[in-house]
Amino acid sequence: MNPQIDTLYHDGPPSAKKIGEFIQNNRFPLIEPGHVTFVFQGQADEVNLRRWISGLSTAQPMQVLEDTDLWVLRMELPDKSRFEYKFEVVRGGHHDLVLDQLNDVQASDPFGANSVCQGHGYKRPAWTLNDPEARKGSLTGFQMYSEAFESQRDIQVYLPARFKKSRSYPLLVVHDGADYLHYADFQTVLDNLIHRLEIPAMVVAMTQSPDRLVEYTGDLRHARFIGDELLRELNAKLPLIDSNNARGLMGASLGGVASLHTARQYPNRFGQLLLQSGSFAFSDLGKHQKGPIFDPVVSFVNEYRKNPFALAEKIYMSCGVYESLIYENRSLVPLLQAQGMQVKYEEARDAHNWENWRDRLRNGLSWLFPGPLWMVYE
Amino acid sequence: MVMQILLGPQNPVPNLKQAVDRINTDGPIVVISAGWRDSEGEIDELREITGRSLEDLKLYRRAEEVFANEPALHELHRERQNKLRELQRLYRIRLAPTIAAARKLMRTRAEPELLRLEQRAAITQLRALDSHHLRRIRGIHLNFNERRSALEVPRALVQRDEVHSMVKNAGLVLIAGGHVAVLLNRIRLFGLDRLLAQKPVIAWSAGAMAMSERIVLFHHAAPQGKRDAELLDAGLGIVHRRVLLPHAGSRLDWRNRRRMALFSRRFSPAACSTLDNGSMIHLDNGQVIASSGSSIVTRTGRKRALAKS
Repeated sequence: MNPQIDTLYHDGPPSAKKIGEFIQNNRFPLIEPGHVTFVFQGQADEVNLRRWISGLSTAQPMQVLEDTDLWVLRMELPDKSRFEYKFEVVRGGHHDLVLDQLNDVQASDPFGANSVCQGHGYKRPAWTLNDPEARKGSLTGFQMYSEAFESQRDIQVYLPARFKKSRSYPLLVVHDGADYLHYADFQTVLDNLIHRLEIPAMVVAMTQSPDRLVEYTGDLRHARFIGDELLRELNAKLPLIDSNNARGLMGASLGGVASLHTARQYPNRFGQLLLQSGSFAFSDLGKHQKGPIFDPVVSFVNEYRKNPFALAEKIYMSCGVYESLIYENRSLVPLLQAQGMQVKYEEARDAHNWENWRDRLRNGLSWLFPGPLWMVYE
Repeated sequence: MVMQILLGPQNPVPNLKQAVDRINTDGPIVVISAGWRDSEGEIDELREITGRSLEDLKLYRRAEEVFANEPALHELHRERQNKLRELQRLYRIRLAPTIAAARKLMRTRAEPELLRLEQRAAITQLRALDSHHLRRIRGIHLNFNERRSALEVPRALVQRDEVHSMVKNAGLVLIAGGHVAVLLNRIRLFGLDRLLAQKPVIAWSAGAMAMSERIVLFHHAAPQGKRDAELLDAGLGIVHRRVLLPHAGSRLDWRNRRRMALFSRRFSPAACSTLDNGSMIHLDNGQVIASSGSSIVTRTGRKRALAKS
């Protein structure tokens, strides 16, 4: 049992006052080295912890503490882990998914918000938080017509602080850019890393697909849009370094697939690839089990595994050990390395979510685009 | 007799005033702070520290103006920078395995005589690679200078003459730290190399590096971990046979004796000299006459005080 709960029961079943003090005086979930204890307070028929960790059951029942309305669950959790969760509360046959009201740490994604469990030793990196001393870049945007898609596309562009047209900048193209901005504090991260000289001042173009389940799954139209049309448009509008090595492409989940697929269609046009938790589904034998959306992904990844070649100069890959995609990502690394590309692969005790991807940005970006820190001696 | 004083970073405790007092000039003092790039010219703090009237040469801003008005020169400059960047990338491709082999030989065990010769050969290869890189860089600069001299660049000449006049009239030149490549580039753009060699100069951090014959970049605690030291460029060559290492205390992994020994031997016969906050190296015509708070990296990777003032 958790030590704080042991203390609560030290003199027998706790009074309402004592429970109130217990709630007031602790931060939830209760974290200790190697373990976490979730606490839910309220009347219910049943309470389950719903978490998004691959390899463990998604719903784990919580136990009500004797003579109280406290539901608890203690589980093993390796240090520095981080994952997102909700409580499933069952009352009169109704199932409600609710946030942990005792925990004010939350994360958002396009589907809503989740509570966040930060294991012992996890600390949000300082470079993801607003630094008042960091000069702020600006966001601008434009619309362009894509012949490949036969439709208008919105592009958001991050320009670094003190942007000057007389200079040339590296370019990073980001899939799901608006989501990176909203859920992974991308603008703050860019401002901070540029301010710290860990990456160079760079232009970042962000795309957002209206139908990523189609366009990001190995769609030739998408590859043409990114690798050809968008690049031409950006080169015409902005002062960019005319070198493949100063050009990067990045994405998470299916955005990682879209990045790799575009790089395969336009080898070395982007010298740097940043692939986070890529949904690189493949099959070695028989039909894959991922569902029809993944058919084109499996087809593309299988084909690339059969006929691999160098797509870029450097590839940074990351994946959470609590996501099922860890298998696919680990499998891809030796294949990419064998083609002579420089590949850096990192794993984190985290799952398939935007904060995992946020926390890996410094390592990925500063490896692909080393900043002038190396050149600066104040 | 031309005096130069090299200092470490001026934070947290500046020693610039002591250095200025040593030079003891009544003439105007000019500042080169081009390494600060967009913050160039923000020298109120330096004025406060020294208690003197200072004038910034504004090389960075002048260069921006020259580039805006002389597109041919700007294009030539860009072409050179792109070439230098690309050459540096190619150098790194060769450097990585060469230095990895040398490092491995520094830590492997074998019959001493056999090993000693292999280590020496590996270091010779490293030096040869660095020398080759420096030759290639010099070739690019030479080509740039030849093509530049054929250009009609009146606006650039006006700016150059203004800067030269200010330096000639100055009793002392201060060269601040910052981005070492930008700093060196701007000093060269305005043709100050020879002029600075004839002037009393106080330079710190990147400014001191720019004064040396070879500029070596290093950082053992970068975001991606240890990185192999790289030769960036030839410096102004005012300070002889010395590789200058600002922030050496925090940027170098002194606990790794073998790594530091390799560092020292790779750049020998130049002495790898540390410049930390409080360091001061006093030179006369490019030769050290006194120093305090500075060490050299020995062949065995240890620190040894450079000299006492």
